[in-house]
Amino acid sequence: MSYGHVPQDDGRFAPRAEEPPRAVQSARRARRAAWLDPATLAICALAALPLGCGDLLTTKPPIGTRFDQPLDGLSNGELGDFQDGQTQFRRAFSISEGLGPIFNNVSCASCHSGDGRGIPSNTLTRFSRGGDIALAEGGPQIQDKAIPGAEPERLPVGVEVSHRLPPPVFGVGLIEAIADSAILAHEDPGDGDGDGISGRANWVTPPTFVPATEPGGGPGPRVGRFGRKAQVSSLLQQTVDAYHQDMGITSSFRSVENTNPLSSVVVPGLDGAPDPEVGGQAVNDVVQYMRMLAPPSPGESTPRREQGAALFAAARCVSCHMPSLRTGTHEIEVLADRDVALFSDLLLHDLGDGLADNRPDGSADGREWRTAPLWGLRIAREFLNGKLFLLHDGRARSVEEAIRLHGGEAAGARDAFAAMPAADRAALLDFVESR
Amino acid sequence: MSAGQPMNIHVAPMVLLLAAAVFLTAPEARAGSTVRVAAPPVGGELPESPMHGNPEVISWGGHGELRLGHDRVRGTSDPEWFSVGRMNGFARARLAARWRLAGEGTWDRATDDFVLERVELTYRWKRTLHAHGGIFPVPLGRTNLSHDAPRNDFAEHSLVATQLVGVPNAMLGLGVRGATGGGKRPMTYEVDLVTGFSDGLIVDSPGGTRLPIGRNNYGDNNGLPSVVGRIEFHPSRDSEWGIAAESGPYNQTEIGGVTVDGRRWVHLIVADGATDFAGLRLAAETGIAFVDVPPGLLGLYAEDQWGASVEASRTLWDPLFGSWRQSALRVAVRADAVDLDRGLQGDSRHRVSASLNIHHRPRAVARFGWYYELQRDRFDNETPIAGLTFTAAAYF
Repeated sequence: MSYGHVPQDDGRFAPRAEEPPRAVQSARRARRAAWLDPATLAICALAALPLGCGDLLTTKPPIGTRFDQPLDGLSNGELGDFQDGQTQFRRAFSISEGLGPIFNNVSCASCHSGDGRGIPSNTLTRFSRGGDIALAEGGPQIQDKAIPGAEPERLPVGVEVSHRLPPPVFGVGLIEAIADSAILAHEDPGDGDGDGISGRANWVTPPTFVPATEPGGGPGPRVGRFGRKAQVSSLLQQTVDAYHQDMGITSSFRSVENTNPLSSVVVPGLDGAPDPEVGGQAVNDVVQYMRMLAPPSPGESTPRREQGAALFAAARCVSCHMPSLRTGTHEIEVLADRDVALFSDLLLHDLGDGLADNRPDGSADGREWRTAPLWGLRIAREFLNGKLFLLHDGRARSVEEAIRLHGGEAAGARDAFAAMPAADRAALLDFVESR
Repeated sequence: MSAGQPMNIHVAPMVLLLAAAVFLTAPEARAGSTVRVAAPPVGGELPESPMHGNPEVISWGGHGELRLGHDRVRGTSDPEWFSVGRMNGFARARLAARWRLAGEGTWDRATDDFVLERVELTYRWKRTLHAHGGIFPVPLGRTNLSHDAPRNDFAEHSLVATQLVGVPNAMLGLGVRGATGGGKRPMTYEVDLVTGFSDGLIVDSPGGTRLPIGRNNYGDNNGLPSVVGRIEFHPSRDSEWGIAAESGPYNQTEIGGVTVDGRRWVHLIVADGATDFAGLRLAAETGIAFVDVPPGLLGLYAEDQWGASVEASRTLWDPLFGSWRQSALRVAVRADAVDLDRGLQGDSRHRVSASLNIHHRPRAVARFGWYYELQRDRFDNETPIAGLTFTAAAYF
């Protein structure tokens, strides 16, 4: 900081421009003692910085300890696409760039903390009236933010409501690449084996903008695998709808603004950006980025965790949280033909009244939820301020609480867990939290 | 160039040599042609910048800053290793006995934009009272009033200066500057009506309220001026204490003839001080902002922001070499922070900086610096950023 004027004895002001600061003058007098000055030691410390104090210039986190890392084995071209997509994923939109008129948040990254799960304060609110997604009332999702001149949506009275915590986005490319047959092989819709656990795919029809060349796209019902109820079959659809519904950003795939149908104020063109507000390339960049996001590596195997894994299997948690599924073909080579340790069968299961939102979604009913993958739990707290928010609405603050809130088809596994000795429960929890 | 490639190692010495040559030779060569501006009785009017030409007719000058940095974000090197830190040009003309016209433009790396800092007409009513109008730096803190690159102890301005005030922050307006008190404890003041901040602080701002995006409002968009003022005390020869505030509406209430919102206000208060103590030059600046956010944006856009910086500097050797009488070696340290949303845990930045400076008074400085910053996003996730920098700044 510099100081342009100092008062003179006659009350006027003169610039310091040619005048040595007072500290300079005093230093002249004290010059001989300068080598003993603590500040000299500071200089030496400063000069020593380049010599190897890595921590003072920040260090890279260990591999596998972040959610925003690319998969191993990507080509240089794919890594370039990854970088492009990351830029788009993190891009925060301003109102003048098209944000709104109604929206929930300003960027992809502002909902998915560090590319992981969200927090209760940015939970999305879905609603419907009976089996109707209530488009005329602002459904299926409340946009609770609005730019000046627009009116945010408010929840209508008497509708079924479902709060949805933003899910992690890492590993979704691997989920996309899992072959339909690998998922369907574990279906047991009528509980034919009598184990109390059914499991069925959510067959959904993708919108017409998802071409047949896109995984999960094309005409006819496809196996849903994204979303809390596996209500989306295609990453492209998920991304386009997030732009459109969550941020109010139109794209070449959905070029008409999402507005509040119940608003008394309708001013077109409020956000000041022509539609579409982003091109197809930006959307595809984000899709490619998410495809190439690696799941974090699991923690080290220890005897206690091995014991926990055995208990996890013995309690039949693995009936739904299947340790791995195998991918099929995929245009990104590293996604193809590999085992994916996501600990999910990607099927719908009845989880009982306690977790029911009583709101159908696709062919999923109000008690059914897709088995949540368990990967990434090991470091999830690091991106949530030391906290953990689990289950579809984030109500569970620990893995143990999440297990205890399971019901329906998972009641048996829950009870088995509850009946374990404390040491066994701890071992099981240690195993799950090491994924 | 991708991060961490060895090409930097080969190119950097050449650039360092070039910068050193400019630093060592240019100020000396031109010192004879640089004239000193007559001291005005009050602030403003390019008060501290050495100029070429004739101050009684027309004079001009400028300053620039080059920056070499090895910056790392969470251990990954930033590929931008060489950049222009600042580039500035200014001129002043005497139109008549009491009339002056000044112009100044600055490009600043911190705000990444070009700012027309000054197109200012001044009428010297009397020695202790000036009236002025046009575009000029608003008196929001000492840094915004005096930020010529060669006079900074650090390569970067403080976070309160860049993230709250938005240095350089100039607006269109008119007002008066004056001095009073006399004797050994004078006081200066400035009061202006200006265009104020624009709704860019919300509308053009991605990810939250950012006052600097709404600054430099050269055409009012809301029909009402803002009031900005500063009072500055000088309790002793080496001490200065100032407090400044700006208050006014910022938003458009109608778009295309349709009412879209009510009148919304922004208030910014900045206090600064500096003094010598125990051989150290101590300085501090703090600011707090209150923004009336439209209801549909509450929760995402901040209503309160706050920032502060504290710095200490000391001259170690003066002169640095016996034959180089104008040189001095100084060390400076600074701690600064800004909370961009006081209603949220996160969305904040904290930084410490240290700098070892070779001053060639009054026209040039070479700085070797280090900084370490923790940026927290709206989830309160932490991103460490640090760097080693070499910067050279000089008037030309």
